[in-house]
Amino acid sequence: MDNLKNHSEVDFAIRIGGEGGEGVISAGELFAQVAARTAYHVFTYITYPAEIKGGFSMIQIRIRDGDIYSMGSLVDYLIAFNQQAYDQTIKDLKEGGTLIYDPDEVQLGNDLKATCYPIPLTKLVTEATGSKLGKNVVALGTLGHLFGVEFGVLEQLIKDRYGAKGSDVIKNNLAALKAGYLAGEENKWEHKFQLEADLEAKEHYMLISGNEAVALGAIAAGCRFVAGYPITPATPIFETLTDLMPKVGGRAIQLEDEIASLSACIGASFAGEKAITPTSGPGLQLMGEQLNLASMLELPLVIVDVQRGGPSTGLPTKTEQSDLKFAIYGTAGEAPRVILAPSSVGDCFYQTIRAFNIAERMQMPVIILTDQSIGYRKATVRIPDLTKIIEVDSSKPDAEISIPSPEKIEIATRMLADPEKLNGYKRYLDTVDGVSPITSPGLEGGQYLSGGLEHDETGKASSFPENHLKMMRKRFKKLETLSDILEKNPPEHEGPDEAKIGVIGWGSTEGAIREARLLAEKRGILFRHLHPKVLSPLPERQVRNFLSGLKQVIIVEENFTGQFAHFIKAKFGIKPIEIHKSEGVPITPEEIFNGVEKVARIVDEKNIARL
Amino acid sequence: MKRTLQDYKSVIEPVWCPGCGDFGILISLQRALMNLDIAPENIVTVSGIGCSGRLSHFMNTYSLHGTHGRAVPTALGAKAAHPELTVFAVGGDGDGLGIGGGHISHASRKNVDFTYLLIDNQIYGLTKGQTSPTSPFGVKTKTSPHGVFEDTLSAIPIFLAYDVSFVARANGVDTKSLTEILMEAISHKGMSIVYILSPCRTFPLLDAKGLKAILQPLPEDHPRGDKLVAMERAYSDTPIYTGIFYQVQKPTLEDRLQGVIKAVCDKTNGGKKYSLDKVLKSFA
Repeated sequence: MDNLKNHSEVDFAIRIGGEGGEGVISAGELFAQVAARTAYHVFTYITYPAEIKGGFSMIQIRIRDGDIYSMGSLVDYLIAFNQQAYDQTIKDLKEGGTLIYDPDEVQLGNDLKATCYPIPLTKLVTEATGSKLGKNVVALGTLGHLFGVEFGVLEQLIKDRYGAKGSDVIKNNLAALKAGYLAGEENKWEHKFQLEADLEAKEHYMLISGNEAVALGAIAAGCRFVAGYPITPATPIFETLTDLMPKVGGRAIQLEDEIASLSACIGASFAGEKAITPTSGPGLQLMGEQLNLASMLELPLVIVDVQRGGPSTGLPTKTEQSDLKFAIYGTAGEAPRVILAPSSVGDCFYQTIRAFNIAERMQMPVIILTDQSIGYRKATVRIPDLTKIIEVDSSKPDAEISIPSPEKIEIATRMLADPEKLNGYKRYLDTVDGVSPITSPGLEGGQYLSGGLEHDETGKASSFPENHLKMMRKRFKKLETLSDILEKNPPEHEGPDEAKIGVIGWGSTEGAIREARLLAEKRGILFRHLHPKVLSPLPERQVRNFLSGLKQVIIVEENFTGQFAHFIKAKFGIKPIEIHKSEGVPITPEEIFNGVEKVARIVDEKNIARL
Repeated sequence: MKRTLQDYKSVIEPVWCPGCGDFGILISLQRALMNLDIAPENIVTVSGIGCSGRLSHFMNTYSLHGTHGRAVPTALGAKAAHPELTVFAVGGDGDGLGIGGGHISHASRKNVDFTYLLIDNQIYGLTKGQTSPTSPFGVKTKTSPHGVFEDTLSAIPIFLAYDVSFVARANGVDTKSLTEILMEAISHKGMSIVYILSPCRTFPLLDAKGLKAILQPLPEDHPRGDKLVAMERAYSDTPIYTGIFYQVQKPTLEDRLQGVIKAVCDKTNGGKKYSLDKVLKSFA
């Protein structure tokens, strides 16, 4: 936020569109890697079909000399591999933008206000390699030339990427790369931007996806156990963790389904380990019974739901924010849990660490809600300073544990019972904050019964009315404790105090709302923006502070029914205007701005007080 | 100081119906642990839902009474996280062969080094008498008032087909043999299933006397490593054999996980574990 700039020297977006299986995304990712080795920031957005081959696939890369908050709205460069890519995305090309297209595949429309560069991708690759495979690498070569990237840099990328596939593959790819590069050189295309490598910048930054950031956050938090079942779009978290866990001496296990995965996490947590399972909506739904159990057993664990379009199988490869209600409420009976929603790729790293801290300290499951757009988005993220990572003593009060940030990362562990005072140990002792000291197997005298049946403080099953009420209060007291801690945190809103309009969003829409706010500011419309990271429990006093003085609240979310709005309305009794986007693609700054502008007109003209 | 049975008993008194076969199973398990002198604090007992699911309540171990059908993957997680623990999964015929039946084959593929006590009374007893996967054909239960019309599931051949590395059947009433089998199962390195027939007194499809008449120990010279012989004897219904049908040694889940850790660290980091720094820099 500190280096939020409204004006930027370098800020442009490139989109590559083609058929799924043509390597559109891998070409884009390689180009993003080139861009990430410069002093600029990079942000990618990917959409791909659910089919293995065929269907429309695209990648958008935004490059800017400052922080990037969203994929942007319109693009400066469009590379269309085929007619479908052209037809579906030409509307998103800026006036005066650059279109690169395969003339053998694409028929241009009339009245095109763009610089058009034809490049026969199929013809070039066939001439260079004798095969039609590798159009994407030709395009990479062309792009590289267009942005003044040295050929050697591109060559090295190809070698790194395809090295394992043998010399023939490398040879063909390099031939394709050269063909694309030369095509750019011969046609003397205009260079608008130059992407020069900045090795120092490269040293301090990672180019990672939100999914990778979650996986790295888990490792940094000291989690050494992952159990999972593949599900789009959460699979990359599991894949990354199955690769990393053995490297750090941890355990990664693929189970037969999501129920078994969360069961294994419960077993691991019961045995004393920090455990995580990544999934998406349909998987979270299957986990319901075990989520319930974890809450009842008061065991720490972390579930990541990378949301996709629903309901049912829905849109597996598209984005949506539609599991919120299920995450907050979905279980038999009433079982407390915490919901976190990271708002950017970098935030995925820090919120995952925070999720473990909260889980360990509050002894309950924490659900991290991300989504396909943030999960697959790649962004340049500064490598955290490892000297800033401190494991905190289990006696440190919860309220004093800081929210993980680049400045300081505190790693919390669970509050263990005193081994000297186990005589008459009560695992579910009803304490002031609701959290009871825990023991783990191996500790003599700490044995206890942990059960899904309602139980008394010792763990013994009990169905007495007064006991049930007492234990329900005890379990929910932990949410109050957490909520009190959250109240003491710095407010999570930005924008001028004098604004009469407030926008509330959650999760991956933060960047788009932030850009909309800057856009609105330029046009003289002010609004305040609240973006809570912990969605449940909410720090109610903080939210009320945000609401006070506002004439109109707008709630923005990517679902059909306005799930967060329902939650806010029920808690605060306000009547917000709701902007829902339920199309499987992220909301853009323009769409939010347009909504705010309409609301601003009403607020201005009628001077109504809606709150 | 030598441990006594008392060390394995929790303060909670068993609540099963008088004459329930589960009493004998509980005492056999406690006795087996005592004989092997395994410290109670190093034991995790995970149970599912049903009469047998209550068994974890009565053990002075780290006990987890979980959900219906999920004892196996839950126990798997505990064992995978802390391989030094002695871990049990406990459940009934409904829990293990009905709702949770899908988990056994996968735990077996991993050869998780735990012992699964699958306690069969042929009926859903806790919910007062509904059909289970092992209820005999034709008998009347509350959900088959006109007689069970499905075939009865044969558990032992399934476990053999799943390649569980230790497969035994026991009579829950015969606590002496059961204790011996449990001791072998616990000592076995790998996944062991002890499938225990346990009479239900309230919905009596099996009774102690009847069991005695139809059960017979496997021949003394039964070859434990021969799956085909095991399979043939597993299908026998006159007599129904008890004892250890099959036992082989193969790498446990822990062996496999350690193998992966070693292979990847040897190959890519000179045998050392990665530091967090190295992990993060690999994404730069």
